[in-house]
Amino acid sequence: MTIGYLFRRLLSILLVLVIVTFAVFAITAVLPGNAAIMILGEYATPDAVAALEKQLHLDLPWYMQYSGWVSGVIHGDFGMSLRLSLPVSDVVGEAFVNSAVLAGTALVLVTIIAIPLGAIAAVSRGKLMDLLLAVFSYMGSALPEFVTATLLLVVFAAPKTGIFPAGGFTAPWESIPGFFSHVVLPAVTLGLVLMAHISRQVRSEMSEVLSSDFVRAARLKGLTEKRVIWRHALPNSLAPAVAVISLDIGYLLGGIIVVEEIFAWPGLGRLLIYALENRDLPVIQAVTLLLATVYALSNFLSDVIIAILDPRVRYA
Amino acid sequence: MSATHVNTHPPVKDKAVPFDAKAPRLAIRNYSLSYATSNGPVKALNNINLEIAPGETHGLVGESGSGKSSMAWSIMRYLPDNAIEKHGAIRLAGQELLEMSPRQMIDIRGQRISMVFQDPSTSLNPTMRIGDQITEVLMAHRGLTKAQARAEAEAALARTGITRPKEMLSRYPHEASGGEKQRVVIATAFACEPELIIFDEPTTALDILTARQILDLFNRLREETHVSALYISHDLGLVSRIADQVSVLHHGDLVEHGPVDEVFNNPQDSYTRRLISAVPHPDRWLGVKKPETKEPLLSLDAVSVRYSPLSFKEKVLKIKPDESEIFWGAKDVSLSVRPGELLGIVGESGSGKSTIAKALTGLNDFTGKVKFGDIEVNGRKQISRDYRRKVQIVFQHPDASLNPRQTIGTILSRPLHLYDVVPSDQIKDRIRELLELVRLPTEYADRYPHQLSGGEKQRVAIARAFAAEPDLVICDEVTAALDVSVQASVTELLVNLQKDTGTACIFITHDLNLIRQIAHRIAVMQHGKLVDLFDRDDADAADRHSYTRALLDAVPVQVSLGVNETEHENV
Repeated sequence: MTIGYLFRRLLSILLVLVIVTFAVFAITAVLPGNAAIMILGEYATPDAVAALEKQLHLDLPWYMQYSGWVSGVIHGDFGMSLRLSLPVSDVVGEAFVNSAVLAGTALVLVTIIAIPLGAIAAVSRGKLMDLLLAVFSYMGSALPEFVTATLLLVVFAAPKTGIFPAGGFTAPWESIPGFFSHVVLPAVTLGLVLMAHISRQVRSEMSEVLSSDFVRAARLKGLTEKRVIWRHALPNSLAPAVAVISLDIGYLLGGIIVVEEIFAWPGLGRLLIYALENRDLPVIQAVTLLLATVYALSNFLSDVIIAILDPRVRYA
Repeated sequence: MSATHVNTHPPVKDKAVPFDAKAPRLAIRNYSLSYATSNGPVKALNNINLEIAPGETHGLVGESGSGKSSMAWSIMRYLPDNAIEKHGAIRLAGQELLEMSPRQMIDIRGQRISMVFQDPSTSLNPTMRIGDQITEVLMAHRGLTKAQARAEAEAALARTGITRPKEMLSRYPHEASGGEKQRVVIATAFACEPELIIFDEPTTALDILTARQILDLFNRLREETHVSALYISHDLGLVSRIADQVSVLHHGDLVEHGPVDEVFNNPQDSYTRRLISAVPHPDRWLGVKKPETKEPLLSLDAVSVRYSPLSFKEKVLKIKPDESEIFWGAKDVSLSVRPGELLGIVGESGSGKSTIAKALTGLNDFTGKVKFGDIEVNGRKQISRDYRRKVQIVFQHPDASLNPRQTIGTILSRPLHLYDVVPSDQIKDRIRELLELVRLPTEYADRYPHQLSGGEKQRVAIARAFAAEPDLVICDEVTAALDVSVQASVTELLVNLQKDTGTACIFITHDLNLIRQIAHRIAVMQHGKLVDLFDRDDADAADRHSYTRALLDAVPVQVSLGVNETEHENV
């Protein structure tokens, strides 16, 4: 991987983000109805609407509105939330940290569970263990989050027998046990589909690698089966799995909106729903832009990881 | 294990027991193997008896499906679950391998029996450094520390003629050439000083010159180490040069075995005889009569194919790229083909021989001038329909060039429709004629490609090319994927078609012995350039290009057949 490649890749991410700012801005600008009227509701007297339009710069031509917003974004100023009367950057920043903690936990959970599961399934191909894991993963990918979430709530958070709280949030830097008890159910809900998906992916990659010439060669060199599987086969199955995980980030970002709402997790997903319901334009814009940035960067990161895992991959 | 043993030795449980020095290194007795399938058991090996003395190289020869690979897996005790071993014994220095537990086999593999595989680019782990792939064997079997193993590995690589062994240790397989990789595999096989090494077609995937070097290395190491070797190959010419003893396998039966000279000079079995006569020999002319005219049918004038595309900057600013940075698939190739002639193009992989074929058939863009009769073409876009009809191509893999969802009849009807060769009500008859032309039963018209054997599929591909009634057929390695005996019959068919139709042919191959049997003139390509072009009779002339000479010298010519055997041998 050359410095030139990294530079060009980052440049293209920047280009994507510029396009996203257009899209985000256009969507909020072309939403039907006058935003000022929507916000003011029953208080929408012509004077009040005119005053709010001025405050929101809605009276300016679109390119002036756009450049004003973008220059603010570049300086870290996303404007003021219309409903919360707080700077958007503060509101979104806090929600982002909370969401990142949840998504990160889910992702770690997925990685440390799904990859070994996939490897085990591939090694015991055609046997009972493989079948059980297949059933698990088909169920995992067939059930939507709100169903798994409900099931988990009934089993683990019922009023009398529950061992986990049904919702809410404690930051890990406030109380580690409190954080864990709150994060388990949403993280598992979020991770289940991905676990199913990624373990299947690792299984199919791994079974292909297990029947490859170099694995046969490794066995015929007199290496133990343990070494053949963990040292020769698994590392060769990981790079494609990482590519799938990076595509799943998009799914994760969508899933977070549902899961946060169900478990009352104060993150970006909840904030986005709140902002949409209340026509809080600056917040909607900021959250959308942020999610796009996360997605672009995580794809970039996965390319870097793949290049590290597979020495043949050379970006130039 | 269901094997019943004819074992005269007490079962050996402890591997520290000294083995019988007088016993052959490897002894296979009455060994039979079959595979259970849904259609009942399929026989793979039938009552095999084979012995390899210490220091001896035993050639195991057979075509695909003969069971020669099954033999290797049986010795390595690496059989699939559906393998059934009916009876027999396989003994390594007197010890019965069929009785070994999987754990004991782990100690034997890589330490007492090791293996060298066909394709070094797939038998090395792509994500592991070469050094680690050698040291892991030394650490597992000889209990060396990492540092000791590294020093050993470096020495082992040096023994195989790798010039900078230390640097090679820290490389990944993709950073080494094919020949270097095979040296690494060989170094690994020799690392623990095994008693027996199984070579499974170790040079088949390599280029001519590299293959020759690997063979030389094999001969040197064999003399230095006195290892016993089982050398599996389909190439009789090669086996006749390196083995002491040879066994011929045919459909799982060992039809003939004995000392190499005896088997090749005086084969007893009819299959062996057939196999030997199918091996191309440069002095046995099979081709058609040399064309009278020297007027070219097709001529290339400074044809070049560029593989590095113009960069965005170069396209926009119209700047000329730096000449040294351009990758040319072919550069300034000028040659001609005469009507009715067979022109051979030889060279190693990447030399540009297929690139020329693609340029001539309009599959690759090119610069320069191609003249075909009255048609003059200066690039891909100028290639006309008429030209396409007159210049046909047959590819190496019929599996890839025949549409698996079309019947043979449909496949053959395409060019007939496309070029209006015959009126549409006669197409059916024409297909029948075409099948007869390539000596296939006419009822094959209703079959699908997967119902045909490899040789039959290639005949269909040839029939398709001739369906357009071309003036020139380009054959791109058409026999490379086929077994020796099938290869011989496909070659014969092509020559007969040439005789009957007077079509000219460009025959692209890496097999020098084969091309010298059929080509009137031979063009030699290297790194995209035409380095030599000569009449067949002048192959040994003094003014041959040094690269041509190196190629000719590198190819083993089969001993025997009453042909002067030292002819091409001296390097």
